[in-house]
Amino acid sequence: MRALTAFMTGITRLNELLGRWFSYLVMVMFLLLITGVAFRYLLERPLSWTGELTQLLFGIYGLMAGGYLLAHNGHVNVDLVYSKFSRRNRAFLDLFTSLLFFLFTLSLLYFAVDMAWESFSNRETSYSSWNPPIWPVKAFIPLATLLLILQGVVKLLQDIAIAFNLSYYQPEPEVEEHPEDMA
Amino acid sequence: PVNAQDTITWKVQSHWPGASSSYKDSLGRLQKELDERTDGRLKLELYESGSLFKPTETFNAVSRGILEMGTISPAYAQDKISLAGVASGLPLAFHTPAEAAYFHMNMGFEEMLQEEAAEHNVYWATDKVYPTEMVVKNPIKSVEDLKKLKIRSSGALEKFLDEAGASTTYISGAELYSALDSGIVDGAHWGAAQGAYSMSLYEVAKYHVKPALNVAGTDAIIVSQKALDKLPKEMQATVKDALRDQFWFRTNEYQHKEKVTLQKAIDEEGVEINQLPQDVQDHMMEAAQVIWDEEAERSENAQKAVNMVKDYLKQLGRL
Amino acid sequence: MSIELLTLLFFGSLLFFLVLGLPLAFVLGGVSVIFLYFTWGFDSFYLVASQIWSTMGSFTLVAIPLFVFMAMILERTGVARDLYRMMHLWFGGVRGGLAIGTLVICAIFAAMVGISGAAVVAMGTIALPAMLERGYDKKMVLGVINTGGGWGVLIPPSILMILYALITGVSVGKMFAAGILPGIMLMVLTSAYVLIRCYLQPHLAPDLPKEERGTWPEKFAALRSVLLPILVVFMVLGSIIGGITTPTEAAAMGVLGALLSAAVYRALNIELIRDASVRTFKLTGMIMWILFAAHAFSAAYQSMGAQPMIEEILMSLPGGPWAIILFMMLIVFLLGMVLDPVGIMLITLPVFTPIVASLGFDPIWFGILFVINMEIGYMTPPFGFNLFYLKGVVPPGITMSDIYRSVVPFVLIQIVGIGCLMVFPEIATYLPDLLF
Ligand code: NA
Ligand code: NA
Repeated sequence: MRALTAFMTGITRLNELLGRWFSYLVMVMFLLLITGVAFRYLLERPLSWTGELTQLLFGIYGLMAGGYLLAHNGHVNVDLVYSKFSRRNRAFLDLFTSLLFFLFTLSLLYFAVDMAWESFSNRETSYSSWNPPIWPVKAFIPLATLLLILQGVVKLLQDIAIAFNLSYYQPEPEVEEHPEDMA
Repeated sequence: PVNAQDTITWKVQSHWPGASSSYKDSLGRLQKELDERTDGRLKLELYESGSLFKPTETFNAVSRGILEMGTISPAYAQDKISLAGVASGLPLAFHTPAEAAYFHMNMGFEEMLQEEAAEHNVYWATDKVYPTEMVVKNPIKSVEDLKKLKIRSSGALEKFLDEAGASTTYISGAELYSALDSGIVDGAHWGAAQGAYSMSLYEVAKYHVKPALNVAGTDAIIVSQKALDKLPKEMQATVKDALRDQFWFRTNEYQHKEKVTLQKAIDEEGVEINQLPQDVQDHMMEAAQVIWDEEAERSENAQKAVNMVKDYLKQLGRL
Repeated sequence: MSIELLTLLFFGSLLFFLVLGLPLAFVLGGVSVIFLYFTWGFDSFYLVASQIWSTMGSFTLVAIPLFVFMAMILERTGVARDLYRMMHLWFGGVRGGLAIGTLVICAIFAAMVGISGAAVVAMGTIALPAMLERGYDKKMVLGVINTGGGWGVLIPPSILMILYALITGVSVGKMFAAGILPGIMLMVLTSAYVLIRCYLQPHLAPDLPKEERGTWPEKFAALRSVLLPILVVFMVLGSIIGGITTPTEAAAMGVLGALLSAAVYRALNIELIRDASVRTFKLTGMIMWILFAAHAFSAAYQSMGAQPMIEEILMSLPGGPWAIILFMMLIVFLLGMVLDPVGIMLITLPVFTPIVASLGFDPIWFGILFVINMEIGYMTPPFGFNLFYLKGVVPPGITMSDIYRSVVPFVLIQIVGIGCLMVFPEIATYLPDLLF
């Protein structure tokens, strides 16, 4: 049981840490675009790589939010009926709907690994005039999906604990969201 | 193999939007041809650009046999097909579609492409050869003018224009019109006259540059080998025949429509032809050859193809 | 299985799992996978991975995190707070004055962006707390932001119009020009609704008590607070109109403006950047995962034969040209409830366009009707990006059902707007005819 708790805390911390770091990419994207504009407009010498690099980082940025958001309960859902159930019944519901979650994420993982591997074995590049390698970016799809799946497993374990009153997970007292999240 | 009486339906992902003339003229035509030639037993189910797979993903989907057929620009398959760069056009190599067509069909380039594609379980058939031409806001009268230009470009032509001293920048198709309009870029290429016309580029850039940046097999039809093998033998031959006829028919038709569209742009939008002065052309030709040599380095096959082009141009007295 | 039955099952399972509270992204992705399996086979799951890769490569989406980031900075530094304080001092006497001010800001925002969500997030972050604090009714506030935020795709520049032009072959410039007057018309209609409603029911948007309205010197002093927002607007709009940046890059100029404003307020520090970054990450990530799955969802629906079905329905329809146009609008409205706008355009436009042309209607005019209908799609439950954006920024006390219910009157107003355009097509066609 202790291992289970450690696993859950570990995964959540990992996603939390990665999320904090990857959130700064918005500053990087901003700086890249501004640099691109400055070089094109002020110096009359457009850089070919700023726009493309921004695009590649943007993709990674969006992907990596997957697991982090799940850890924060931040994937938006429709709470019309859902919010009227008790916590325990919600856990039962979540156990049921997690089927759909794992169906989606596991099949995504399978094909994303395939896609990234294919890209890696061809050493795929973008063939723009800058021509950077593409496979590292594609590799983020299975990576981010894996992080999401792991966090999904944590959520599953939490729901099992709540549904069946098991001791390895103690849910925090009932609040919708942490107050600092919406400040 | 399926029974001779069964009707077979193929999913076909286009890289052309529905409004593009090629969607109807190329895919619509092929759909009709195959329907007639197989007595209605082979049906094509057409999907417009992006509805199932994005253009750059279509080759992968066809190669995996998820899609039976697709259309692409060779540039979207560059990581798989080392000849893609040559197929989508060595800058300034050919002057007319007829020259490019001869290179593809009579000198064996199309077969070389098909051999490379076959390694990925894809049957390759060039849809047509046609020019890629630039539109600019102000006419290019000298090498200095060229070097001052900011051009929206992509792929191998981007490298070429860079090499020739212009500044290139990539802008997505969705923002191209606005970018030209507000002067973020001074020029762009999107196919030739028909492409520019379909993107409303003549509204904001009134000079159509000649000669073409390249003339090449920029549109290709790809067929999943798996799907092809499933057809009865005689139907496989029918498909291949139809694709070969398609090339000649479409190359001719496209050239005709280019002229009609350009004339329409001249009459309706006040577009002018900007014929590049000889010294600008010479300057660009130097840059072009640097790109050819780069392209040749990609593989043995690419080396062979570039040499074929060079020998051919020598025959024509242009090198 | 017939496509009609598939359609029912497909959207039925979407609704079923949505109601059960599974996050939207996973509902869309999961339902796509199930249906792809039964209609196209296991290998077709590749489509899901491939759609994610394509969505990552969409350059116009890059503007989203940047505009969100800009709004987060402006909100944190007090620029936004002062702006609303100023508006309250000046227009506090008018019931609903802040809502009107918000609509005006939305229209300005719409001229800066080509997408819908950025303005919703920005105004949800900046305007929503400011209006709630001053006792405005939450449904009124939510509806106003939802509606105003959607104008980003009607007032140029607009990504949806460019897509419409690409699919149908009409001129982008004409579409842009055609969107301006209808945009203004919708603003007038919405403002009129807000004013009338608040006049009749004062508790929805209480006016500021006389003694708190401030003296003239106070009012003029408060005007200083518009300087920085004007600077930001100027940097964004100026760089688009002046040919310095593309609309996407202009979002980065907006961030620059916001950072400058923060510096003026002496609030520019690492904590600000960190907080704004994290909140931007959460919102953008939420939308990106929905988009990943939504694109797979529309592609899956497309692959089942959605397009031929719509074609068949239209062909079997009795009635004259106007009945067909109305029916098209109805289809788009219904699809707008459950699909993303880009998917809807890819499915319906290829079918609609030739019919519209053959009936002798102006494709530009039809395009504007279509885009307004897309705007409605952004805010109709259960699936609407504006709704999700709002849910991402509202305080915990506001539930999805509040948001859902808030849109009803505002959707009706937009439908009235479509009606006006049908009766007076000149509202859309006047400017393009004049300019081109
Ligand atoms: Na806009
Ligand atoms: Na909707």
